Amino acid sequence: PEHEDTQHLGIMAARPLVTLHDANGPTANTVPLPAVFTAPIRPDVVQFVHTCMAKNKRQAYAVNVNAGKQHSAESWGTGRAVSRIPRVQGGGTHAAGAGAFGNMCRGGRMFSPNKTFRKWHVKVNVSQRRYATASALAASAVPALVMARGHRIDEVEEVPLVVDDSVEAYTKTSVAIELLQKLGAKQDVDKCSASKKLRAGKGKMRNRRYTMRRGPLIIYKGGGKDAIERAFRNIPGVELCSVDRLNLLQLAPGGHLGRFCVWTQSAFGALDELFGTHEKKSEVKSGFSLPRPMMCNADLGRLINSDEVQSIVRPVRKPVKRSNLKKNPLKNFAAMEKLNPAAATAKRRALKKEALAKKAREETLKAKRAGTYAVPEKVKAEKKAAKKIGKQFFNAAIRGTDVI
Amino acid sequence: KGGLAWSRAWVAMVAQTPVPENVLKKRKTQERLNAQKVAEAAEAKKAKIQKTRTIFKRAEAYVKEYRAQERQLVRLRREAKRTGNFFVEPEAKLLFVIRIRGINAMHPKTKKILQLLRLRQIHNGVFLKANKATINMLRKVEPYVAYGYPSLKTVRELIYKRGFGKSGPGKDRIPLADNTTIEEALGKHDILCIEDLIHEIYTVGPSFKEANNFLWPFKLSSPSGGFKQITTHFVEGGDAGNREQLINELISRMN
Repeated sequence: PEHEDTQHLGIMAARPLVTLHDANGPTANTVPLPAVFTAPIRPDVVQFVHTCMAKNKRQAYAVNVNAGKQHSAESWGTGRAVSRIPRVQGGGTHAAGAGAFGNMCRGGRMFSPNKTFRKWHVKVNVSQRRYATASALAASAVPALVMARGHRIDEVEEVPLVVDDSVEAYTKTSVAIELLQKLGAKQDVDKCSASKKLRAGKGKMRNRRYTMRRGPLIIYKGGGKDAIERAFRNIPGVELCSVDRLNLLQLAPGGHLGRFCVWTQSAFGALDELFGTHEKKSEVKSGFSLPRPMMCNADLGRLINSDEVQSIVRPVRKPVKRSNLKKNPLKNFAAMEKLNPAAATAKRRALKKEALAKKAREETLKAKRAGTYAVPEKVKAEKKAAKKIGKQFFNAAIRGTDVI
Repeated sequence: KGGLAWSRAWVAMVAQTPVPENVLKKRKTQERLNAQKVAEAAEAKKAKIQKTRTIFKRAEAYVKEYRAQERQLVRLRREAKRTGNFFVEPEAKLLFVIRIRGINAMHPKTKKILQLLRLRQIHNGVFLKANKATINMLRKVEPYVAYGYPSLKTVRELIYKRGFGKSGPGKDRIPLADNTTIEEALGKHDILCIEDLIHEIYTVGPSFKEANNFLWPFKLSSPSGGFKQITTHFVEGGDAGNREQLINELISRMN
């Protein structure tokens, strides 16, 4: 939406404009967006308030006060090979001798019988209720949330959808349906009619036979039950609501934000009086001013990537190196080379040495078998010298002993 | 439909739309960070190559050193024999101690000594410097341990196969799969690689304490082929106590 003329206002006061629709589609006129639609969207508050409010239409239920207690049952005591539960007196009926009075007994009284004086209704604080309504209205202006709630608004021109006041004078349903068709809201209505099914469960026989989706919520100011209500009330899925009596159970059905709302122009305009703006308090709700959001700038992406933050942020830490399965270097040569770069040369050297020694051995064997082998002189000389030393050592050792 | 015209229109539209500011900012920072990363990677690579060269040279030097040590002993023995002297074998500097008994029913003092030796679990093994203090400690816990003098082969195989180090702020048990683990812990003692570590342990160098403490106690398997009798001393045909060189055979069955 475009923004208001900002000549006389500050930039922050520029409010988006919403185009007015009428029976022929969008017009050239616009309406400024009321401040409620910028209230913080708090699904937690709405859910809480909704669950409490939804309990307020309940009717009490309870079992009969005397249920299960109308026996003169007495326990048989011990010694009769039966449990000690109180048993029905008398005879001649199959209830005789049966256990009674226990929640575990057939025909016995239930555990903790329901009482009508159970607290059925839940009181919610007024400010919480108002906060929730403001949040729900704000959510109804976000097309993504409305679509997420399940409304078929693909053909709707604009959200929030504001129609001019002539709608409040409608009395004929056919005209109302034509209007919805023109506005693109018929798809949502059709979804509702198509979804009418028998309810699963006992609700069927408790006057809740069918279930159906919820369609658009028409919010009006004037007209009332003799005009606009008459026109729209019989359309399946469509609900009506006066702007003076906005109901959270209709704005956020099931506690889920984003009801598709169709506003009349006067209803839309009345919202600023009802809820106030960020500058002035509400005129109607005493002591109420619009809730303030927690963060002025909720764009986390921009915050994180801003210069102010990035300039003092520390660099990314290297992930901790975790050890893999250990490879045995004595068997896995790649692991060995990683640890000892000289392993390859050592191995090569050893292999070479082995090859040479093997060759030399083969030659001596060949020579020996051919009979041409001669012990090299050096070896002979060494052996001789060693023998001499040994003999000397021995002689010195046996000197003075009686070893011959 | 109308493929060429459509793609031309698309290109024109892309050329005309202004790039969002945050996209430009992100691009700039990413370029800067990437350039930094590339430069750092190049430097790290150079440093790594230098380090590998040092480690290679050291490993080769150690091979020579170990052989030289061995040959020297041989030479001295032969020299002694030749001159009719006696060669006193050098006393072992390094011991390997294995705990061979479990944890139940222990005297608190022996329990404490085994804890001090880091032998808290059965079949745990640790290297130990042989001095009067440690020898007396071993004497106190003799029925619970088997120990001896490990050879170079044993030391190497233990550290390569079952070597884990204490690493990181939590002092976790990290496998020695990379020389960086060793360098980070022991770099200040000039131990950069696994061969340095083996050398320090085997020759009981000046930083033996730090090197040994860096090594987590070795978790050995039960010996294949079994023990003889863990309840008696080795000299009586059992397994406990000092078995000098024969510890190498036991370790090869437990490693």
